[in-house]
This record gives sequence, C-alpha cells and structure tokens, in this order.
Amino acid sequence: MTCKLIKMSVQKLLVALLILSVFVFPIFVFRVSGSGVDMAASAVGEAEEVVASAYEAVLEAEHAGANVSGLLASLNEAGELLATAQVAFRLGDFDEAVLSASLCSEICEVVRDEADELRVEAYGAKIMNSWLTMTGSTIGVVAVVFGSFWGWRVFKRRYVRRALRMKPEVAKDES
Amino acid sequence: MNLEEYRTVFLTGSFVLMLIAVVPTVSLILPFSSGSERFSELWLLGPNQKAEDYPFNVGVNETYSVFVGVGNHLGVSSYYLVYVKFRNQTEPLPNATVSEPSSLSPLFEFRFFVVDGGAWEKPLTFSVLEASRDDDFMFVDRLSINDVVFSVNASARWDSEYEGFYFQLFFELWLYNVTSQSFQFHNRFVGIWLNMTSS
Repeated sequence: MTCKLIKMSVQKLLVALLILSVFVFPIFVFRVSGSGVDMAASAVGEAEEVVASAYEAVLEAEHAGANVSGLLASLNEAGELLATAQVAFRLGDFDEAVLSASLCSEICEVVRDEADELRVEAYGAKIMNSWLTMTGSTIGVVAVVFGSFWGWRVFKRRYVRRALRMKPEVAKDES
Repeated sequence: MNLEEYRTVFLTGSFVLMLIAVVPTVSLILPFSSGSERFSELWLLGPNQKAEDYPFNVGVNETYSVFVGVGNHLGVSSYYLVYVKFRNQTEPLPNATVSEPSSLSPLFEFRFFVVDGGAWEKPLTFSVLEASRDDDFMFVDRLSINDVVFSVNASARWDSEYEGFYFQLFFELWLYNVTSQSFQFHNRFVGIWLNMTSS
C-alpha cells in the first residue's frame, strides 16, 4: 500500500515537473536569445564608439602634421569589420556581429594609441619647426633692416661723391 | 632720379623684403586657405569600371556587378558611410532639396576613411535570388549583395509607359560629423534602375 502511494506520488511529481518545464523552457530560451541580441547590440555599439574615437585621434594627429596614411589603412580594415557587424546584426546573425565588432574594436584601440603617439611626435616637430620659422623670420627682418640701412648709406655716399665730381657747364643763352 | 626718389625706392624695396621674411611666421598663425570648394564625390561605374554597360535587364540568379566610389575634397581625412538601398518606383528616394535621406532601411553598407584628395572604390555584386510574378505585379523576395542574402519583399507594378517592372538599387553617402559625433546624410546619392521583366 505504502509502495503504491510512493509510486503514485513519484508519477505526479514527474507530471508536475514536465508541465513546469513546458512553461520554463520558452522563458529560458527567450532569455538566452535576448542576451544574444543585447550582447551583439552592445558589441556593435562599443565598436562604433571606438572607431569614432580612433578616427578623432587620427584627425588630431593629422592636424598636428603627422602622416596618417598607415593609420587610415588600418581604420579602413576596422570600418569593413564594423560594416560586416552592422549588416550581420540587422540580419539576426548575432555571433558574426559580435565577432566582427570585437575584431574592429581591437584594431581601433591599437590605431588610437598609435595616433596619440604620432600626434605627440608631430606636435614636437611642429613646435620645433615653428621656432625655426620665427627665428628665421626675425633674422630675416633684422638683416633686411640693417642691410637696407647700410646699403642706403653706401649708395648715398657714392651718389653725393658722384654729384660733387660733376663739373657745372654753362649753357649758352641763345635767345 | 634725385636722391629723394632713390630713398623711396630703397624704402619700398626694404618693406617688400621684410614682408617676404615675415610671411612664413604669419602663415603659422593665419593658415592660408587654398580657396577651393570643399565637397565629396559619389560615383557609380559599370562592371568594367567605366560609365557604361550598367546592369539594366535583370534575371533571377544572374550575378551583376558595379563599382561604387567616393572622392574626398573636404580638406581633411573623412569617415564615410555608404548605405545600399533597394526600392520600387513608388518608394521614397532621398530628398536633395531638404538634405533628407530615404526613409527605407539599408540592406548593405560600406564604412571607410578617405584621405583629403584621395578616393575610395569598391566592387559590388548583386543578384536577385527569388522573384515571382502575379499579373501586374513583380515580387522580389530575396536579394544577394556581395554574397550576403537579404529578404527584401519588394514589389513593383507593371509600368505601361516604359513597359517593365522597375526597381532601383541606390547608394546614399553619409559623412561622420565630429562635432555631433554622428553620421549625417551628405546629400549625395546615385542609383541604377533594374528592369525585372525578363525574370
């Protein structure tokens, strides 16, 4: 009798678990796929931000006078990956989106660091160049002022000497 | 010439020489503008990278190719985005007057950076994978662009004037704005008409 009761309760428990699992499974699946979307969206969003900040770092390096063609080539690789991630995300291929976005972020972080280094180097060279230019201009102006002054004095002396050497001629009045 | 006139010539010459000496320093503070117009180019070429032989009569499962290109004359290296969109004759194109992009969702996209004075060009292959006809309507269900398959669910009504079912594959140019930190429609687009009658 007791054995029969235990058998029945086990059967009831199994049925209850089965019913419960029917309700729990979709929630679990939904949560998992939901987290896939969130993860992909977050990876793509982060990649977009990293690309933008790397681009801004490259622009600053370019303004400082650095040669950024190598960095732009790397950024183009990152851009292709980001485009792939965006397209994959829109098509629901979240694994591809995460993979491409992560690779893109990795490339851009390297580019950003290199751009910062190049910017610092270029600014140093630019400041040196500015000093040389300003010094050159100052020396140029001073040289022109003194040169002109000296040249004018020499010219004036020769002019006066030549004028004094001239003999006055008396012209005949034919009237 | 008397001495006074010679003095004027000397002073003028010295002033000009001083100006020449000062120009490099002034250019550090006031950068001289080239005065040229700032703009971007967007172009579409046929399969031979020439403005000819553009795909027009399109069949199902046939592969077609075009080249899309962008030229940068903005004075700085720029970050571009090209959206590839697909429409029928009634769906909206970008509005160049108010600088508004088409409200259609993009299918494919290109993101790239172009140095000032440089150009970017990429091939784009496409094929209609699934299309069906129902009397006066042609339905395009699936389209492949650069080997990526898209469900498009687009339909076109028979155009009795030009005798065909017309769709358009078009490209919008967007430019990244550093100030707003977002892409903005750059008011340029190009496209090709595709006649699906032979499908």
